[in-house]
Formats: sequence, C-alpha cells, structure tokens
Amino acid sequence: MLKKVLLAVLVLVVGAVAVVVAKMGPRNVIGMLRYDQRQEGKLKVGDRAPDVSLVALDGQSPVRLGEAIGNRPLVLVFGSFT
Amino acid sequence: MYRRYGDRVRFLTLYIKEAHPTDEWQMDSNEKEQVCYPQPKTTAERVAIANDFVKRFHYEIPVVVDPIENPANALYAGWPERFYIVDEKGVILYKGKPGPFGYHPEEIEAWLSSRFPSGEAPAKSSRNSLRLLQRNARIAALTASSR
Repeated sequence: MLKKVLLAVLVLVVGAVAVVVAKMGPRNVIGMLRYDQRQEGKLKVGDRAPDVSLVALDGQSPVRLGEAIGNRPLVLVFGSFT
Repeated sequence: MYRRYGDRVRFLTLYIKEAHPTDEWQMDSNEKEQVCYPQPKTTAERVAIANDFVKRFHYEIPVVVDPIENPANALYAGWPERFYIVDEKGVILYKGKPGPFGYHPEEIEAWLSSRFPSGEAPAKSSRNSLRLLQRNARIAALTASSR
C-alpha cells in the first residue's frame, strides 16, 4: 500500500516537473537554475538609501547616487536592456 | 508616469548587469527582438549597451550606469529589475520586489497619485502658490462662464 502511494506521488511530481519544463522551455529552466540572481537584499523601508558611485552615459563622468537625493522624492528604476 | 510627475519627482534609472545576456540565461523573446548582448566585462561595455537601450526606446528617464563591479546592485539587490522610492531626506519609503513577477509600476503610480492627488503640484514656494492660485482662478472663471 505504502509503495503504491509513494509511486503515485513520484509520478505526480515527475509529471508536474515535466509540465513546468515544457511550459517554460528547457533553456529557460536551465538558465534559471544556473543564473537566477534574484535576492531580497538587506535594505528595508525606513533605512537610509546608501550612496554609491556610478557612471554617466558618456562612460566617463562619475555620478553619486546621493546627488539625486533632496528637494524631491526619488524613484529608482533598476534594470537592463536584456 | 515620468511625464506626468517628472516635475515633482526625480526619476533615475540605474542600468545594472544584464538579466538575460546571450552567454548566460538567454531568452527566446530577446532573440526575436534582437536584443542580444553577452554579459559585459567592462564598465565601458555596459555603458555601450545602456546607450543602445536609450536609443532604441527613445528612453526619456535619466540613466546612470552601475560600474562593472556592480556596487549599486550589491547594495540594492536590483537585479533583474526593481523599484525603490526614496524621500527627500534619503530614507527608503518603498522597496519593490525583484522582477519580473515583483515589478509593479502600478504601485509606484499609486504612491505618486496619493502623494500628488489630482496631479496638483505642491505649493512649496510662494511662486508655486501663485501659479496654483492663478490656475484655480482660471478654472473658477471657466466654470463660471460655462454656467
């Protein structure tokens, strides 16, 4: 009886994994397993936004994030082209 | 959003490491749209992709680039995309979840519309107050004349 239940669970799990892989595409699944770098990070609401050195789009001029803070609220949008 | 609130709120895009470069987690959708770049190995390479991005989308929001050592991403955990709102004193008011599933522009929009209801500018200086008064007077005049 126990063996049958275990077998049924195994079949269900394998089936579910197969569905997920088929839906996402195998390349996407491998990519996610190897390269997913999503993190929650340590910053919390109420913390001071840490300053950091950045570069302008000319590739030369240094920019400090702290320069953007003050007199108006600041919306930060993190992202990339890809 | 940027066009609507850009005069009262500063928007800044932090261009960070690629989410789906060709040599890592390549996406079919990026191949279709010919957004194919390997993960940059230098800051200059990342800056070049950021400039391509701005050109392709005629992107209006100011962009700054996280150097190749990824200091901003390390502090803010921005990868692959994420929103923050920081107040005038530098305190974090809102921290979004990482994208794509936690990336919700509508939450930013909701915050903006509650902070600046009905799109009215805050009357901080006397000049702003004056503008607001003048506008209200015009609206009052228009309302009166249409009655």
